[in-house]
Amino acid sequence: MTVAAVLLLILIGLGAGLFGALAGVGGGIIVTPLLAIYFGLPMHQAIGVTLLCVIATSTATSSQYVERHVTDVRLGMTLELATTVGALVAALVSRRVNRRTLAILFACFLLYSSGSMVRKAWTSRRAKREESIPDYTPHNYPLGLAASLIAGGFSGLLGIGGGPIKVPVMYLFMKIPLRVAAATSNFMIGVTAATSAYIYWGRGDVRVDIAAPLVAGVFTGSLLGARISPKVRSFYTLLLLVGITGWLAAQMIYKLVTGGFQ
Amino acid sequence: MSRQDLAADRVLSLTLKAGAYTAFALTLGGLLLRWATPWGNKIVMAGLLVLLATPALRIVVAGIQFLRERDFKYALISLVVLGIVILAYCLGIQA
Repeated sequence: MTVAAVLLLILIGLGAGLFGALAGVGGGIIVTPLLAIYFGLPMHQAIGVTLLCVIATSTATSSQYVERHVTDVRLGMTLELATTVGALVAALVSRRVNRRTLAILFACFLLYSSGSMVRKAWTSRRAKREESIPDYTPHNYPLGLAASLIAGGFSGLLGIGGGPIKVPVMYLFMKIPLRVAAATSNFMIGVTAATSAYIYWGRGDVRVDIAAPLVAGVFTGSLLGARISPKVRSFYTLLLLVGITGWLAAQMIYKLVTGGFQ
Repeated sequence: MSRQDLAADRVLSLTLKAGAYTAFALTLGGLLLRWATPWGNKIVMAGLLVLLATPALRIVVAGIQFLRERDFKYALISLVVLGIVILAYCLGIQA
């Protein structure tokens, strides 16, 4: 690979890690379409590489939330019972899913995520930051586990973290404070993505030459983003990400309609 | 939250941090060295392997913390999660 390509991949990773950490969403969602559309990677390989980026984001940022005692480790570990099973099964199945179907599913998920970020931006508009965490007891474990199973499945199939599925369920139905739900979801994502990454790696769907510069960039971006995030309002970062994911979804749909992703 | 929980959070956070910084240093260092020595690629590989191993390590560390707190229910849950992850690893290397 050329030096320019390596630098470009580092920059993409940096952007994904930084915006992901600032907006509190996984940056993985913009990596897969970029690799599939502009680097011509087959969907399975784009997803395999993204899984490593997702582990990097989760590991780099969740250490800070755990340190600040925002993460509910017990809740996270319990829901991981389901996310890992979902991820394992989906990663095994994904080999039999063709590239076009994966691309269609991914485009749908991009649109869904972009919608959920619009809602998140709207609520964060006038939210006070760093409020103290109220006391809570998790409710409705069966529903939480079911949502985790589905989120894990999407993670294994599409290489995403699945935060937009888990966080609303934890918040609305399990009655977990939003900050705790987001931090705990982020904490779970590393283990979930690792579960499917082992299978993609073994299958040869993780291109080391592409993953390495991306991961280096993602680490730099996430560590930087986690450090400055208390000082930055997530509203504008979220709007930017809505624009990027919307654009990428449009590109993917255009490529699908014109017969791409074969 | 009990005092012990707070200490457990610190150990867990340190594990994640150590994994993240080690993987980051190896991957970036290897990328730079790649232009100079053939060892660069092996260092990059080591970095990615540390990245892949860190989530599994953090399950083990959390499990040990639960055991030390005599919270056997969550120690067992950690063990089952670790079992699923190891199963994925075994299926992965077979593939």
